[in-house]
Amino acid sequence: MMERGLVRFLFLILAVAICGAASVFQPISDSHRSAALDVFVPVDGSYKSLEEAYEALKTLEILGIDKKSDLSSATCENVVKVLPLSSSTLKDALYALSVNGILKCKSGEDVPKDIVSKLQTGVKEAKLLLDFYYSVRGLVLVKEQFSGTDISLGDAEAVFRSIKALSQSDGKWRYSPNNPESSTFAAGLAFETLAGVISLAPSEIDHSLIQTLKTGITKLFDSIQKYDDGTFYFDESEGPISTTASVIRGLKSFAASESTGLNLPGEKIVGLAKFFLGVGIPGEAKDFFNQIDALTCLEDNRFSVPLILSLPSSVISLTKKEPLKVKVSTVLGSKAPALSVKLAQALSSGSKGSSVINNQELKFDAESATYFLESFPKNFDVGKYTFVFEILLDESANEKAYITEAQTKVPIAATGAITIENAEIAVLDSDVGSVESQKKLDLTKDEAVSLSANHLQKLRLSFQLTTPIGHVFKPHQAFLKLKHESQVEHIFLVKTSGKKSELFLDFLGLVEKLYYLSGKYEIQLTIGDASMENSLLSNIGHIELDLPERPEKAARPPLQPTDPYSRYVPKAEISHIFRIPEKLPAKQISLVFLGLIVLPFIGFLIGLTRLGVNIKSFPSSVGAATSALLFHGGIGAVLLLYVLFWVKAIGSVHDSKGTVFAGSVSVVRRTQNTVSPRSSIEQAEICLKDIYSSL
Amino acid sequence: MMNLSRSVALISLFLLPLLSLSFSVDNPTDRRVLVLLDDLSLKSSHSIFFSTLKSRGFDLDFKLAEDSKLALQRYGQYLYDGLIIFAPSTERFGGSLDSKAIADFVDSGRDLILSADTSASDLIRGIALECGVDFDEDSSAMVIDHSSFSVSDVDGDHTLIAADDLVKSHAILGKTKIEAPVLFRGVAHSLNPTNNLVLKVLSASPSAYSANPSSKLSSPPQLTGSAISLVSVMQARNNARVVISGSLQLFSDKLFRSGVQKAGSPNKYEKSGNEQFVTELSKWVFHERGHLKAGSLVHHRVGETDEPAIYRIKDDLEFSVEILEWSGKSWEPYVADDVQVQFYMMSPYVLKTLSTDKKGLFHTSFKVPDVYGVFQFKVEYEKLGYTTLSLSKQIPVRPYRHNEYERFIPTAYPYYGACFTTMAGFFVFSFVYLYHK
Repeated sequence: MMERGLVRFLFLILAVAICGAASVFQPISDSHRSAALDVFVPVDGSYKSLEEAYEALKTLEILGIDKKSDLSSATCENVVKVLPLSSSTLKDALYALSVNGILKCKSGEDVPKDIVSKLQTGVKEAKLLLDFYYSVRGLVLVKEQFSGTDISLGDAEAVFRSIKALSQSDGKWRYSPNNPESSTFAAGLAFETLAGVISLAPSEIDHSLIQTLKTGITKLFDSIQKYDDGTFYFDESEGPISTTASVIRGLKSFAASESTGLNLPGEKIVGLAKFFLGVGIPGEAKDFFNQIDALTCLEDNRFSVPLILSLPSSVISLTKKEPLKVKVSTVLGSKAPALSVKLAQALSSGSKGSSVINNQELKFDAESATYFLESFPKNFDVGKYTFVFEILLDESANEKAYITEAQTKVPIAATGAITIENAEIAVLDSDVGSVESQKKLDLTKDEAVSLSANHLQKLRLSFQLTTPIGHVFKPHQAFLKLKHESQVEHIFLVKTSGKKSELFLDFLGLVEKLYYLSGKYEIQLTIGDASMENSLLSNIGHIELDLPERPEKAARPPLQPTDPYSRYVPKAEISHIFRIPEKLPAKQISLVFLGLIVLPFIGFLIGLTRLGVNIKSFPSSVGAATSALLFHGGIGAVLLLYVLFWVKAIGSVHDSKGTVFAGSVSVVRRTQNTVSPRSSIEQAEICLKDIYSSL
Repeated sequence: MMNLSRSVALISLFLLPLLSLSFSVDNPTDRRVLVLLDDLSLKSSHSIFFSTLKSRGFDLDFKLAEDSKLALQRYGQYLYDGLIIFAPSTERFGGSLDSKAIADFVDSGRDLILSADTSASDLIRGIALECGVDFDEDSSAMVIDHSSFSVSDVDGDHTLIAADDLVKSHAILGKTKIEAPVLFRGVAHSLNPTNNLVLKVLSASPSAYSANPSSKLSSPPQLTGSAISLVSVMQARNNARVVISGSLQLFSDKLFRSGVQKAGSPNKYEKSGNEQFVTELSKWVFHERGHLKAGSLVHHRVGETDEPAIYRIKDDLEFSVEILEWSGKSWEPYVADDVQVQFYMMSPYVLKTLSTDKKGLFHTSFKVPDVYGVFQFKVEYEKLGYTTLSLSKQIPVRPYRHNEYERFIPTAYPYYGACFTTMAGFFVFSFVYLYHK
């Protein structure tokens, strides 16, 4: 129970939010028509079910959108298929007949006899409310659509009684005799069914039965729910829109079928109309249909037709000298009967109770069907008002029972251009109060005032705002913003006292608030109000503040959010700077020096020949000569070995595919990989030992 | 007991294919979305938003926020990939759901759309706070803007904001520019400056402020100007995405359909930018756009094709990586000019922007620095609106071997010459000395 209450409450919030701050209800307009085309979109030329097809066609028909030709072929095919089928359910039959009523797939004397007999047995055998509903409604539709039939319920009164037996004392109805749960939605269905029974009855139904039904309706209206803005609705598990629509549909049929008339509280009927208008444009087809169908029932019925007062604009611009326009129409926007509209009161929201305009009748312009107030009195100023309108119906005989609200309260905002004068900014010396530098400002455009102050001085900003009729104007928004280079912002309110709006900033008291941040502050002034047409945001310039050093314990300025764009920019490229190779002399120089180095050797050889050296004492005996040759050959071989090693002719350890030197070359190479160059030689030895042992 | 376990087994058997349909690496778009409403009539008043989601293949599960059977996970498995909370006034969720469960849901890499409104509950504020978003503490405050409100015949309060300060990111808001201003009526929020994952998508104009429109201001408002964020997004480090809006009406059919004219501007639009804005934003939040996937990092020496186990200093190498973007249906090549690779050891030694072949392959070539050690190829790609990529691959770099240096250094020729001439001299001298007569 509580849960539902909460849901209701939330719906209230939503509804208020949807209607906006103003509780002005506009009748159905073109926006509904364009939305209807989006909501009722057929798939491949037809709708999923006949029920959907009926809802779509009915809504489009009411809104005056002609899409029948596009849809009729495929949909009619379905209708013709369903109607003669004895296997189709009562529900299908009802919706097939409903669609047929709009598209006229079958008509005239071509009565679908199977379906009539099916419906008639349906009525006889029905126990459940829904069965009664489908079969009775079906028969009514057959009677309306096919001229050659004379369907009447012989035992109409018995049927009436058995339906009536499902009603509850509180005006609600049960779906089945076995289920004690009652519902408002079912009550709506029951009224429609009973209206059908009355119209099908060959003779008049007992009057007392109808009378008890009427008391039931009155009781049902006791359970109606109410919102603060004067809208009424019925709520149940089906949702408020469906439930309320069902009740209204039932009431309309019932009022149409019997002659004595239904007496319903007018205020509640207007409230119901306002409820449906306040919903706005529902996005779901079902809700859309229910809204439009219920409003049609309110538009044309035999109990009371509500009239809705609406304003094309609830914002009045005093500079444009627009007249206040008011329209009165029915819920679907059609013309209202002759009536007069009176502006009873215009209450200003600021000063409570006093009314600016009293009892003024609005003029009527027949061409645009609007009522208008040509001119406002001289003391009508900008601001927010609540206008109270009264509608007086002309007594001349109206065919329909029109009803209106006793009083319609409409919030009105009057806007105008506010004059800004005497704007000036000044830096004052604290001690003497003398003016250090004073600048006149034109707030309508950006200026580039440049001021400077220290913490012992004050800043004064003042301006004067007056309304079009010369009163002092207090704007809702009058902010001075100081923005430091580091993006730290401070907002100050400019207060209005007397005629002037003035702001004093005593920097001595503000140093802490300014986080001791010296430097350039940009000054920005914003003046705005809902009634002010020339709201402004003006960059005045900047002030250079010289504040004392920040003490250790003072608060640090808050972190400023980082700019998201700069956060994601690509980083600067980095390329590695390679070590510069050692500077070596040119090859030619080396060769020159090589030549120089070789020169002594050549000189040595030349010197030897000059000295006339010989080797005459080389031993001549074979033995001695052999050993001498071996001795010198040995020296030569050692020297040759050096040369060969140097030119890599022997002892190559460099390539595993080439000559392998002394067994363990591969181990040496492996140590090069595994031993870090930073390890000491002892560590390298340990590594080598490990490798040997693993081999 | 027996029966129970059997039915559990049966249920999990049914759930299994359902779970495997969801969120995966290869198909990152969300599928199953839980929609929490504080009133079922929102389903009707916000139906365009929901039906566009449905038409894009989302499986929406509408529940009342107070529903006592609410649960995000069952048997340790999440039942949903995304969550939409349109329940600004809910003080407590039903079932096992609370703000911690929602934080866990986001922490598991799943996505969230949260909408507050005026008089948002503490619960909703708390969830927003977890995501780095601070709603105005004054519960009666709304965003007011006397300079960029939407000109309307019924709104005399200037609380219906026509905002056009949108984030410049194709990933978040799509490639088509949103021409018409976005209508907003709701509560202001600011971003936590220490949280750099959250950013403003729709900001207020400099003249905006957050206050109660029907009462006079006694102290300066907490939030003013462009510091006010109207709609913000957050992409967590695990690429979970969150949209936080200060207005529930922003998503409503009414504002989707309503025309807009910004105060002081001569341009009148038939339709507000809301539908485009919300649709594009929902594509982003449910990973239909801006989701990147990278193949493995490929590198080799110039002229070779195989990846070496080790590089030598001063080797020339080629590096490439394939990056694909999820389009909602398939993986498309990603094209950008700001993907960068780092050759990294403690700090980047080389940082190069990759060039793209427009088919998703990003490549570059560079010389290995003359420093040896264990390096990493690192691709850390962060771009506004895109998921972050963080890839790395380790590779050692060795110095020259002893035999890879020059053998004959010309500069040393004089020394070589000196050695050999001395040797030759010695040899000659030995003959002369011994056998001269």
